[in-house]
Amino acid sequence: MRKFESIKGYLLLLPSLLAFCVFLFYPMLETIYLSFFDWNLIKPTKKFVGFSNYMELFTDATSLVILKNTLLYIAILLIFNLVMPYLLALFLEFIVKKGKSFYKAVFFLPSVISLVVGSILYTWIMNPVSGPLSFVLKKVGLTMPIWSTTQGWVIAVLCIITSWKCFGYNFIVILAGISGVPKEVVESAKVDDVSMHKIFLDLVIPMSAATGIYVLIYCIVQGLQFVYTPIKVITQGGPNYASSNLIYNSYHEAFTLFRTGTSSACSVITVIIFMILLILEFRFVERGIYYEN
Amino acid sequence: MKTKQEKRIQIILHVILCLMILLWLYPIIFAVCNSFKTSQEALNHVISLIPLAPTIDNYVHVFETLPFVRITLNTLFIAVTVTSIKLLTSFMAAYALVYFDVKGKGILYFLMLSTMFIPFTVSMIPNYLLISKWKLADTVFGVILPQLADVLGIFMLRQAMRGIPKSIIEVARLDRISHKKTMKEIVLPIVKPSLCSTGIIFFINSWNEYVWPVLILKSKENYTLSLALQMFISAEGGTNFPVAMAVSVMTMSIPLVLYLFFQRQIIDTFAMSGIKG
Repeated sequence: MRKFESIKGYLLLLPSLLAFCVFLFYPMLETIYLSFFDWNLIKPTKKFVGFSNYMELFTDATSLVILKNTLLYIAILLIFNLVMPYLLALFLEFIVKKGKSFYKAVFFLPSVISLVVGSILYTWIMNPVSGPLSFVLKKVGLTMPIWSTTQGWVIAVLCIITSWKCFGYNFIVILAGISGVPKEVVESAKVDDVSMHKIFLDLVIPMSAATGIYVLIYCIVQGLQFVYTPIKVITQGGPNYASSNLIYNSYHEAFTLFRTGTSSACSVITVIIFMILLILEFRFVERGIYYEN
Repeated sequence: MKTKQEKRIQIILHVILCLMILLWLYPIIFAVCNSFKTSQEALNHVISLIPLAPTIDNYVHVFETLPFVRITLNTLFIAVTVTSIKLLTSFMAAYALVYFDVKGKGILYFLMLSTMFIPFTVSMIPNYLLISKWKLADTVFGVILPQLADVLGIFMLRQAMRGIPKSIIEVARLDRISHKKTMKEIVLPIVKPSLCSTGIIFFINSWNEYVWPVLILKSKENYTLSLALQMFISAEGGTNFPVAMAVSVMTMSIPLVLYLFFQRQIIDTFAMSGIKG
């Protein structure tokens, strides 16, 4: 009877597990396999090349550019999607008295809009010749950089576009985490005349650390993938790889240059980085789950 | 005296926040307003928001140059199918995780959560080859097939089911009520709100999806809205600007309307996804 029961349980899990295995875990193994071969998606035979795809990635000059870009993306995304939503959440939870749910709803609103729409709107708004932003900047005596072809600026603008979509989610999650901090603790600190920034730094942030780490990791893992869409739509990684990152590079190698080997090697490296983050997530965030109930 | 000053500070803070909101929502206002301008006016008076000579020509133009109805129906068909299947598989998996004593539950759950950490690039080439081999390239089914399960749904429904008092389920077990009946008559009605909000989120995500369809769909009549939109973009601004705004407005209107109606549920669901343990 018991055994029969547990078979039923597996049967219920089967559709999800099957979907994950066929379209996620098995392809992952296949990509690892492909990373050791030279291939172009079409040729009937694949040539085994050992680790040379990886060696190429580690020695190539463009790889260095891509790695630097990836770090820059992460840094900017963290400012826009971790630091800023944290500040706004603290502000709304502890300083502003009313309207929390209204502000929550409004700041989340762009998150339901497609990144392709966001990319189109922002390319026109930030158009260096005829966009409203360049018009306003001209009025105050500044010139809008031609960001889509300027190193550095291009990454900053692509991050802004992505953040318009991601900000809301992170903000809501952080706000929920902060609301979990017991009000009495904060109130009694206030009564003891502890300054507001001390309350934030020594009390609220440590007590909402699990949420903070979750958002930090989410920001890196999802942010790098989200930013792929504006890159693909607006710059295609250009000018001269200046806006490419690890994710976009995998796509570019496979579907523009038809080098599945280097693409796969690049994907495998991305997975390794993300898996380290997954372990960190389990170490610091998810662990609670098993002690519950 | 102090309260009066405090009140004044609060008002100033709200004014600042409202200015921030205007800036935050500006791209949407910008798109709606410019989509009703003539292209001449849009280029010459980019700052002013109210169109001098409002026109719907841009919208008409979209329907004339693209199989736009077909594209919208494709997007809708994919979104509805993906949402329904994901909800079904998630509900089943969550039920098993909560109410069955399956061995290796912890490992299975870990495996499922780990799917959030697998970048799409790592399954991109093999899935592309598989879909091509099955002759599903350039079809909506090729878009749907790799999206049959979603860990977000499993996670949300599992949380909802764990909120149901254990005693209710135990009584049902003792009364020898079948799992099928328990599922249908006890669990389903209780988790319905979670099911709805998760479904809305799946729908919006699928509606906005770009990464996978752009690899699979090649011909215009099979496009989804995101892909059609892409044709109206160029960093130099070469294409017709108000028409691009019109397509953007139409694409974002469905998620925005859904959001206006289910705003609280969507936000609560997302807020919960971040609370662990």
